Amino acid sequence: MQKTLRLENVTKRYGAMTAVDHLTLTVPSGIVFGLLGPNGAGKTTTLEMVEGLRRPDDGRVWWGELDVVRHPDEARSQFGVQLQSSAFFELLTVKETLELFHSFYRRRLAVSDLISRLGLEEKQNARVGGLSGGQRQRLALAAALINDPEVVFLDEPSAGLDPQARRNLWDVILGLKAEGRTVVLTTHYMEEAEVLADRLAIIDHGRVLDEGTPRELIQRHMPASVVEVSRSVGINSTVDLPAVRRMEERDEVTTLVSDRLEDTLVGLVNWAQREGRAITGLTTRNATLEDVFLELTGRSLRE
Amino acid sequence: MNAILVLTRSLLRQTIRNRQGLFWTLFFPLVLMFVFSFLGNSQSRVNLAVVSPRGQSAAVMKVFQRSPLFHVTKMSRRQALQEVQRGQIDAALLVPLAAADHTTTLTLRYNNANAVSAGQVVGSVEAFVAQADIALSGRPPLFRVAAQAMTHSHSSTYLDFLLPGILALMTMQNSLFGIGAGLTRWKEQGVLRRFRATPVKPVQLLAATIVNYMVVGLASAAIVIGFSTTILHASVSVPLGPILLVLLLGMASFLSIGFIVAGLSKSQEATIPIINLISFPMMFLSGVFFPVSSLPRILAHIVQYFPLTYVADALRGLMSGQLTLGASAFRTDIIGLVVWIVVTGLIASRAWRWE
Ligand SMILES: Nc1ncnc2c1ncn2[C@@H]1O[C@H](COP(=O)(O)OP(=O)(O)OP(=O)(O)O)[C@@H](O)[C@H]1O
Ligand SMILES: [Mg+2]
Repeated sequence: MQKTLRLENVTKRYGAMTAVDHLTLTVPSGIVFGLLGPNGAGKTTTLEMVEGLRRPDDGRVWWGELDVVRHPDEARSQFGVQLQSSAFFELLTVKETLELFHSFYRRRLAVSDLISRLGLEEKQNARVGGLSGGQRQRLALAAALINDPEVVFLDEPSAGLDPQARRNLWDVILGLKAEGRTVVLTTHYMEEAEVLADRLAIIDHGRVLDEGTPRELIQRHMPASVVEVSRSVGINSTVDLPAVRRMEERDEVTTLVSDRLEDTLVGLVNWAQREGRAITGLTTRNATLEDVFLELTGRSLRE
Repeated sequence: MNAILVLTRSLLRQTIRNRQGLFWTLFFPLVLMFVFSFLGNSQSRVNLAVVSPRGQSAAVMKVFQRSPLFHVTKMSRRQALQEVQRGQIDAALLVPLAAADHTTTLTLRYNNANAVSAGQVVGSVEAFVAQADIALSGRPPLFRVAAQAMTHSHSSTYLDFLLPGILALMTMQNSLFGIGAGLTRWKEQGVLRRFRATPVKPVQLLAATIVNYMVVGLASAAIVIGFSTTILHASVSVPLGPILLVLLLGMASFLSIGFIVAGLSKSQEATIPIINLISFPMMFLSGVFFPVSSLPRILAHIVQYFPLTYVADALRGLMSGQLTLGASAFRTDIIGLVVWIVVTGLIASRAWRWE
């Protein structure tokens, strides 16, 4: 069954603050959909309204024909959920925890299969209280899959994982997609979004700033190239270089966003000769999602 | 249904594996009973020193030793008076050399620091001597008092009084702290949020939690009763059915009070003081350690409606053999508890918040 997830004008207010502001999105079936946004953008709030955990003040959420806001119980039995901060009983073992969640559903996967799928065999009889952060994340993911869900919501699944564990997680997520499940995830890692997400929505202040495939987003907002040099070269806003759309000095690097790479580079070399400066740390690259994000929100993803 | 069973099993595992929690659940009641078992024993007999001239002591001693009321020791006059003064023994009986045919005066020296026990000591020695006198003279007594206790129970010690009180107290502590602190901790940690994202219903979670605490409560009550009766020789009757009924109703009312507190507060820091505020007055006023009747009139009037008072009252009545299922006083306790359960249950169902 091909079900799409649709959010229509979903709104959540906390007092005077609007955490999610008339947010409208469509997630096609069978893809990995990424929600990208800085801290406090409203990603978690949005996910939790979709999951039926918080009631929107306004708007509708549809999973296929199912009205999620009206029938949260039915939605909960169909969804797979990993919360940003969820805990399990500390004194139960991994296996007992999964058996507990197993008992909540009618449609379900075998506990032993999930344990081996997430590489938790060695830890299956260990108490949850003694697990490492990465093992906890895997347990949370296993619990999210126990009901064999068609759609899985993962709120920052790779938070706190080392690079190796993160790669393993990506394999699991791509495996979920290969099985035809829809995955909606939030992340702060641009690389993760680029590797995993078929489509992305960039969110800030509870609104969708733009939405599309990573390539589309880059094309639309950053058809440009990026030139980076060491900050010690001494380029600043008083230096007038051709075709530079935007300039930014951060840490040790000066970043120039260029609409025509050739012109900018020639201008840069000419300026350096004229001023008698050495150009160090020069690199050029295509724009990435990180640059798109910066362009759209004025903020870096992780600050 | 399956969900409730697995949930209950999980919660019980969680409880049993919490060794520290179990230890403290049982530690205080057992220690309290143990400590008070000594107090109870020393109070039940009068500690009497007999000071008598050589040759007569054996006969006098024998008379007193036969009575269960006294614990007699032979002492020198000097030592006996000293110990009375220090409160180490209750009284010293000074026996003079026997005179042939007129009344012998037995002098009783007692410590009157504690008016009640002094009265008891003097009274029991006087009564005993009078009785012995009549028996020795060979005349049939003109009057005899046939003392008949109004209840079926044996003479009770403080331990027998305390046991039902401690059981009631445990019922309150387990349920209030268990659900109040336990649920808020799960709330804080995010365990409950995760459950919320599944189809499991709040009533299922609640049912499992209640069963968990009831099993723990009944098991610890059984341990304390067993310990007190077999090791400390508390003599109480244990009518299983009625006691079970009172314990379960008591737990239900304290669980719903705990549920209200856990529902309203966001963190452990907020819960614990509220629970203390609720439990402390009851712990001291509701007849756990001393009878409600010893409170000032007005206070006693209020305290009789406390849930812990109903539980302690009913348990004490049952265990001392004074109350049976049909007794109207027992019915009052049960009705009182049911009213508490209904009212707090209604409030709890409104007050509950998942986060
Ligand atoms: N229960 C709440 N009460 C009041 N304000 C809240 C509540 N939950 C979230 N907010 C506010 O709503 C906004 C959005 O929060 P949300 O958790 O959705 O952000 P997020 O995008 O998930 O951020 P992060 O990347 O840090 O997880 C924030 O400003 C947050 O402070
Ligand atoms: Mg979040």
